[in-house]
Amino acid sequence: MIATIALTLSHFQAMTLFALLISVAFGFLSRRRTSDRVKYIIWSLFLFLLIGVGIGWAMYPFSR
Amino acid sequence: MSEEATTGTTTGLEAGTETATADVATAPEHQQGNEVLAIAIGVAGWLVPGLGHALQKMWGRALACFLTVGALVFLGVGMRGNVFGSEGGDAFGMLGYIADLGTGSFYFAARALETQGSDVAHAEGDYGTRFLAAAGVLNLLAALHAYEAARGRKA
Repeated sequence: MIATIALTLSHFQAMTLFALLISVAFGFLSRRRTSDRVKYIIWSLFLFLLIGVGIGWAMYPFSR
Repeated sequence: MSEEATTGTTTGLEAGTETATADVATAPEHQQGNEVLAIAIGVAGWLVPGLGHALQKMWGRALACFLTVGALVFLGVGMRGNVFGSEGGDAFGMLGYIADLGTGSFYFAARALETQGSDVAHAEGDYGTRFLAAAGVLNLLAALHAYEAARGRKA
């Protein structure tokens, strides 16, 4: 059933989905209060994306 | 859990010598029982993502673990990532197998659902492989967290 659904995601979409899911899991595991969890998830997601895009740009000169 | 045993011993000493002796004798058994229960909760959390937390009535964490691990597996399989088997051969194949096994029962669901096999020749397939491995490692972390919570550590 699932194998017939071909997921075609761009690099950025895949990275964003990955970052969101991991951030949510870490937020729930490491914080107790809802407000702390929300803050943690947003901050973690932001850092994931910032560092991911940053490393992408850092590798750009060597990509070809 | 061990804190309860210590408190019990102190109360016994205040009450009288006989009670204190009885408490000291049962404390190691009590601790051993808790340790076995904690291990069982950890294993349950590994087999079914979130179950370890659900057994301790940590509903939010249980739901978060189940949904995030499930979504990572779903996306990984949907992108046709490589679900490693035990016959991997090289060290990287074995490491991938161990990481994938971390998802517990979801590993078998992933193998059953990926009927067309993996396609790591494209970027999606390669990403899918990482999603599956991350799901396994994340679930192992969650199971360890549930185990520590069951032992009475602050979680």
